[in-house]
Amino acid sequence: MERFDSRQRLLIAMAEQLKLPLLQIARTAEQAGTSPSFQQSNTISSTADIALRMIDGYLLSILPVQDQLPLEPILVSAVLQDTAHRLSKVASDYNCQIEVSISGRQAPVMANRKNIEIAYTLLLYAFIQAQENPVTIQRVLLATHKTSNGLEAGIFGDQKGINNEMLRRARALCGSARQPLPFMSSSGGAGVFIADNLLQAMNAPLHIAKHQKLNGLAATLLPSYQLQFTKL
Amino acid sequence: MILLIEPDLVLAKIYSNALNAVGYEITVMGQAQSAILALDAQLPDLIILEPQLVGHSGIEFLYELRSYADLQNIPVLIHSFVQLEAFNQSREVLRTLNVVGYLYKPQTSLQQLITLVQTMPKLAIK
Repeated sequence: MERFDSRQRLLIAMAEQLKLPLLQIARTAEQAGTSPSFQQSNTISSTADIALRMIDGYLLSILPVQDQLPLEPILVSAVLQDTAHRLSKVASDYNCQIEVSISGRQAPVMANRKNIEIAYTLLLYAFIQAQENPVTIQRVLLATHKTSNGLEAGIFGDQKGINNEMLRRARALCGSARQPLPFMSSSGGAGVFIADNLLQAMNAPLHIAKHQKLNGLAATLLPSYQLQFTKL
Repeated sequence: MILLIEPDLVLAKIYSNALNAVGYEITVMGQAQSAILALDAQLPDLIILEPQLVGHSGIEFLYELRSYADLQNIPVLIHSFVQLEAFNQSREVLRTLNVVGYLYKPQTSLQQLITLVQTMPKLAIK
């Protein structure tokens, strides 16, 4: 903790402390969800769960454990499927349809399981919230495809204005502007930046990508050659 | 019977109600010392432990627990706000303390907790 100043240490302490009330909300709502008279409890529970993941993501991205981040072979397709399933309730609340597109058989990649799970959860949540027209059902796609550098895995949507210049500017404005990602978020866009930090810790920062004519943010993950049963 | 050691009253109530609802008898304690005293009254089949306690920590509790011959074989499931990597104890030490599993509280739903409690042998720390 020596490398943090007092204000950062206070923020870390607050993040840790915030977990308790959020967990109380999430589990109370989960318990209430068994009663048919309280239909909104699933939404409360899943929203609080995402907030908890965001806090964990923030803490993971700044705490010293990142210095020796353990990597292991992970199937990205499974991570994306889990992420889609985890946020399906939230997506329906935002009138959003989640699709998963995995092209062909893919080898495992080297990644940190916690980092990658939280990163894609926060990124997908940002895309779900970024729907421009809440009346019509909009598509958000979780997709992977092979590239010459590895496996590109990302989240794609209908948002206009996603380009390299916008991402570069957003990174520069992170924390200093209220809307560093105006094409996606009306707020600070913390989820995207936390996801970016978590992926950067695995040498796979977010970049602009396209899939099926949709714009998106993706990371290129290195394959695990040791466990490669399918050819890249 | 399950001994739940949980310092937060709200969470303790939620977890005990959820486990009660599926048929488990639950005794709730908020501190390590009161938990040790509770063990004198009745031996549980499982202890669910949040190691971040007021006063003596859960790790101290584990060492004391294992110092009594009659309490050495009670399985302990850690259910915590603290990430497993953040414990200074190695996994080997946790195994010798008969910790059979670890659950990260913020990412464990009530249903997951219940399911994992019901399938205890599969929870062994690898």
